[in-house]
Formats: sequence, C-alpha cells, structure tokens
Amino acid sequence: MKSIIVKTFGRALAPFILMYGIYLMLFGPVSPGGGFQGGVVLASAVVLVLVTHGKEKVKRLTQNIEWFDSFGVFVFLFFGSIGMLIGGSFFVNLTPYSMTSLVFLDVIIAMKVFAGIVVLSIFFFERGAE
Amino acid sequence: MIETLFKRAVTAFLVIAICIALLQGMSLKYEDKSESPIFEYYVENHEETGAVNLVEAILLDYRAYDTFGEILVLYISIAGVIILGKEIVEGKSEEGGFGS
Repeated sequence: MKSIIVKTFGRALAPFILMYGIYLMLFGPVSPGGGFQGGVVLASAVVLVLVTHGKEKVKRLTQNIEWFDSFGVFVFLFFGSIGMLIGGSFFVNLTPYSMTSLVFLDVIIAMKVFAGIVVLSIFFFERGAE
Repeated sequence: MIETLFKRAVTAFLVIAICIALLQGMSLKYEDKSESPIFEYYVENHEETGAVNLVEAILLDYRAYDTFGEILVLYISIAGVIILGKEIVEGKSEEGGFGS
C-alpha cells in the first residue's frame, strides 16, 4: 500500500532529480560529475516514480528505451572510429582544446547508463510484482 | 536441522578464509607506482583535452578505449540479464529464478 505522502513526494521530487542528473551529465568536464554519474542520477528519478506509482506511469517513457542502451555503444564506437578515418589514432580527440567532444561522449554514456538501469529496474520490478 | 546449520557454518568459514587469503595476496604485490611517467604526462598537459576535470580528461580522452570497454561490459551484462530473465518473468521456466 503506497501512502499518499509517498506518491505526492515521488512525483514532486522527480523533476528536480532529473534536473540534477542533467546538470551532472552536461557539466562533466568542468565540475565533478560526468557521464556515468549523470546517467545514474537520471535513472534514480525514473526509478523513484516507478516504485511509487507502479509501471503504468513510466510505461510511455520506457516504451523502447532499450534501444538507447545498445545505440549508445554504437555511437561511442562510431565516434572513436571517426578519429581513425581522419587519420589519427582510434580515439583521436576531434576537437582538442574544446569540450564539445567530451560533453558529447558524456551525453552518450549518460543515456546508455540511464537506459540500462531503467530497463534493469523495470525488469526486477516486474519480477517482484508477482 | 543441525546438519544444515553445520554446513552453512562451514561454507561461511571457507568463504571468509578465502577472502582473507586473497586480500593478503593482493596487498603484498602493491608497490608505489605514483611516480610513473604516464601520470606525470596526464597531470602536466591535460589542458590539451579541453577538460578542466582531470578525471574526465583521462576517462574520455586518454583512456577512451578503456571507457569503451567499460560501456561494452555494462551493455552485455544488462542484455544478459534481460535475455535470461525474460523466461522467468513470463513464467516459462519452471524453477522460477531468483531465490524462489
């Protein structure tokens, strides 16, 4: 039985946690944070709503989120091979002295970790619901 | 009832003994590597990567190949859980999976 307080706080806190996750993701190279931490914090917001409100509330968001999981790996690989095409080594920093390539990688990693953990938690949530 | 308790006690003891042995083994080999040239290079000119945060510079630029491996491991593990778990959740497999 989920009390009203838990439900309202769940919904109320979720956007702020998401905002913090996005901050961590985008400010990786400058401030402590980065791809993995940002992705986990984003996933924690979704899991919070998942736990308090059950699966239906999160259904639309996580319809085909597992694509993010595998998509992230390929984009990361592609980003690495661009460096090879241009002539440098595998992971040549395409834009040295500027953070764009780092933030781009951060976003990919965060999306991937986010998708993975959300899929995992939904799976375990289903498993427990029986 | 007593046998199961005895068995559990023995396995617990064995697990703890093995862990302590491993820790001892690992700690003997550690020698101070903090002066190795690679770290010097990282610390000196990590501005070339454009990242202020040294950890990010190493993680995404100097050691991006390791991060790629890390992501691959993460992906494969999650895919494995989902693939193996699908039967359990739909109840096809009879033993019911996690600890039941």
